[in-house]
Amino acid sequence: MKNSSEWFKNGSIQALLVLNALIMLYPLVVMVLSSFKKNAEIFTAPFALPESFGFDNLQKVWDQTNFVRYMLNSLGVTAASIVLILVFGTMAAYAIARYEFRWSGAVLMFFISGMTIPLKLAIIPLFIQLDTLHLVDTYAGLVLVYVAMGLPSAVFIMTGFLRTLPRELEESARIDGANELLIMLKIMLPLARPAMVIVAIQNAVPIWNDFFFPLILITSDDLKTLPQGLTVFIGEFTTDWGVMFTGLTLAALPITLLYIVLSKQFIAGITQGAVK
Amino acid sequence: MSSVQVRNVSKNYAQTNVIKDVSVDIPDGEFVVLVGPSGCGKSTLLRMIAGLEDISAGQIAIGGNVINDVAPKSRDIAMVFQNYALYPHMTVRENMEFALQLKKVSKAEIDQKVIRAADILGLRELLSRYPRQLSGGQRQRVAMGRAIVRDPKVFLFDEPLSNLDAKLRVQMRAEIKALHQRLKTTTVYVTHDQVEAMTMADRIVVMRSGVVEQVGTPLELYDNPANRFVAQFIGSPAMNILEGEVVENAFRMPDGVRLPLPPAADIEDGRKLHYGIRPEHIALADRGVAGTVHLVEPTGSSTEVMVTVGVQQISVLAHERLPVRPGQHVHLSYDVSKVCLFDEREQRVRI
Amino acid sequence: MNDDRRRALISQPQRRSLWILFLLLPAIVVMTLFVVWPLLSALRFAFYEFNGLSPSQFVGLENFRKVLFEEPFSDWTYNAFCHNVIVFFALMVFENGTAFLIAFALLKGLPGHRIHQVIIFLPVVLSSVIVGFLWKLFLHPMFGLVNGALALIDIQGPAWLGSESTALGSIIFANIWHWLGFPTLVLLAGMQRISAEVIEAARLDGAGDYVLLRRIIWPLIAPSVTIVCILTFIGSFNWFEIPYVMAGLTGSPGGSTDVLGLYFYRTAFGSVSSGIQDFGQGSALAVLMFLFVAGFSFVGLRFLRRREIQL
Ligand SMILES: Nc1ncnc2c1ncn2[C@@H]1O[C@H](COP(=O)(O)OP(=O)(O)O)[C@@H](O)[C@H]1O
Ligand SMILES: [Mg+2]
Repeated sequence: MKNSSEWFKNGSIQALLVLNALIMLYPLVVMVLSSFKKNAEIFTAPFALPESFGFDNLQKVWDQTNFVRYMLNSLGVTAASIVLILVFGTMAAYAIARYEFRWSGAVLMFFISGMTIPLKLAIIPLFIQLDTLHLVDTYAGLVLVYVAMGLPSAVFIMTGFLRTLPRELEESARIDGANELLIMLKIMLPLARPAMVIVAIQNAVPIWNDFFFPLILITSDDLKTLPQGLTVFIGEFTTDWGVMFTGLTLAALPITLLYIVLSKQFIAGITQGAVK
Repeated sequence: MSSVQVRNVSKNYAQTNVIKDVSVDIPDGEFVVLVGPSGCGKSTLLRMIAGLEDISAGQIAIGGNVINDVAPKSRDIAMVFQNYALYPHMTVRENMEFALQLKKVSKAEIDQKVIRAADILGLRELLSRYPRQLSGGQRQRVAMGRAIVRDPKVFLFDEPLSNLDAKLRVQMRAEIKALHQRLKTTTVYVTHDQVEAMTMADRIVVMRSGVVEQVGTPLELYDNPANRFVAQFIGSPAMNILEGEVVENAFRMPDGVRLPLPPAADIEDGRKLHYGIRPEHIALADRGVAGTVHLVEPTGSSTEVMVTVGVQQISVLAHERLPVRPGQHVHLSYDVSKVCLFDEREQRVRI
Repeated sequence: MNDDRRRALISQPQRRSLWILFLLLPAIVVMTLFVVWPLLSALRFAFYEFNGLSPSQFVGLENFRKVLFEEPFSDWTYNAFCHNVIVFFALMVFENGTAFLIAFALLKGLPGHRIHQVIIFLPVVLSSVIVGFLWKLFLHPMFGLVNGALALIDIQGPAWLGSESTALGSIIFANIWHWLGFPTLVLLAGMQRISAEVIEAARLDGAGDYVLLRRIIWPLIAPSVTIVCILTFIGSFNWFEIPYVMAGLTGSPGGSTDVLGLYFYRTAFGSVSSGIQDFGQGSALAVLMFLFVAGFSFVGLRFLRRREIQL
């Protein structure tokens, strides 16, 4: 079957794919390598391996910047948002999916229509709203905005998933003597874990990476998140390229590591999130 | 004391009335099978006994106490579902323990009950497996184990064997029956398969469209069906039913063919009837009703022959190999006293 | 017993309703406070003049008039809008076109196609801020990696982000590098959903790669194409982070990279250079952007969906 022209074609396609992989990967490799270099080294030998893998730049970042603070802030804000999205979203989805009540269709529509709305464009009233609630420049304000943004798709995905769980499981547990709360916590939710992972990743990535809302809602340096802090940091070290690359590398590190471990779930979560 | 009484029970979904004034009395320890075609309301009735559906009208009592408003968990029943409803994230042992833990039974007692149930069902080796690691038959057994450990007043089964292959179904049928003989717990068993009903039941309740058509032991239903529906539903292949009217103390079909009526029957001429005779009661003979062989279906141990009489088809079942071929002319003979007659409303005409 | 039962009868449905309410309430409250209310206010605010943070006076369509027809605002609006349009078409052609070809190449399942999917999606999970700064450094005229590479073959690269002719293109390129994995994997998923039998049947009918792509795959991945197109459209008109990081809030040089997102931000929250801050005009801009994006998405969706149904 395979003749030589077929081989040639597949060979060229493979070559182009390898080239593309290089284009996608090489900038990140350079970023990591440059983080070990000094300015002079970066400027004179941009493509070379670093002369030594020292931690001078890292030391500077550690000593002279709020970088660790930013990272912890991002971690806290993301974690809090995800927990609340999962808790509130799953609760609401459970009510919609597992009970028949008069307004269940309308409630689901309410959440679904929330998915189509770009909250960024409502930033002005949102800002005023948070200002009246004294939530500007607090974690709480930022987290609540993220929760509001994440809930619609969380409710949508969880409702869809919870509806597929067989009714008999619930009934069996009811006969076994479990009350509603116990049925939810012990029987249904453990089975919904795959959907929860999708919801968590789908929300965690944009929240962890978000720049727009902290830019507007957070002003104290101590509260800044990583992407926002990065702009401050780069502004301070505009001439020290090694430190800048170290900052970028550090900022990219946590999510990259997580992505390498969970790449399947990341890809599924993010592409599905869009397909919703 | 764990009889079950269903008294004038009805069930409505919005406008539709799916159970219509059903009454069934199940004495303590009996194995009752609810049987009927799909959609006739068997599951609904069972689920009302379990407390999973509200009772629209009437009463259900377990052990003499009306339990209409008692929560499922307080009814002291156990149910085995068609898809087993095993908790997928719990091991076999955890599945069986769950109800007992909720009842706050002591650890030692739980262990003892689980082991006992596992021994009865041969699940000892599977206790630490998850449902997904089990075969269909094993899952079925775990579902029963989960029911047994609770030592309930009543077992409820909703088509528990319909997800198994034919061979396993026959085997489990016997096992469930043996289990009942051992535990003697009142059991209500739902199936659409009349063979299952016939082989397992102490008593059968035949339902159709939300109504109880007849209640009786398997042989009562077979020998004395109360109406045309039960007659055709019980027994395989189904009873032949021919339509026609009485003329000169014989039964005449529209095509003019005449069949004999039971000697005791004394029915006025011109009355419209349904004439029923079971395939296994008919034999091919040298004389009798004349017909032409249309189709021969040998199964090895028996032969089913479709014979065209006039314009109607009559099925004949013989427990031997018959040397007939399609197109061959044959005669049918049968014991006229085995004939069942049904009136225009399809009710049995008592002779 | 009798008493007991009656109490149970009365409280059962109520307890159920309370339980359902308890489950729904937190989500509904958060959504109402932080989505529904701001959204309704956003509409209202567009018709008000602002005094600092509070609406002071109803001014009808005045804000819209300023944004659309009064100098210098109207110039800025159109300038930014045109850039968004350019971005949209550039991304459609270069990002989604490349994505389509790569997806088809990956569909062949050549060795390494799985790892390629992981690699191409890696930039997608990184923050736009990281990607923006990274490429800003790489595109530096003197010390950047790009011009360094060009110098190896004796080409003097331009100041990519510093000259009006190359700035927008450079930022678009960084954006493509950032997001390429997304349309690629969405389209690949669409292609993988086509049953292998269909593709084999086409091959047996004598279809080569081109015919297969054009006549079988392209029509059958219509739903994925719809999603990619709509998301590209929405993304292009909400573009903010990468240009903010790479070109700054004013769309330098000389407004050549200004887009609606930046312009909206400047209008609403002010900037070091322009100083003025006007929630009224900002709201009007937001409403206009929303209407434009929602309207065109809706029309586009209907058009693309009809294409799906016809097949
Ligand atoms: N929740 C429901 N709403 C409306 N009709 C229902 C509902 N559940 C069952 N039915 C109807 O009630 C009838 C009996 O159903 P079921 O008891 O499940 O039948 P069976 O178990 O005998 O096959 C069917 O016609 C079915 O369509
Ligand atoms: Mg049923």
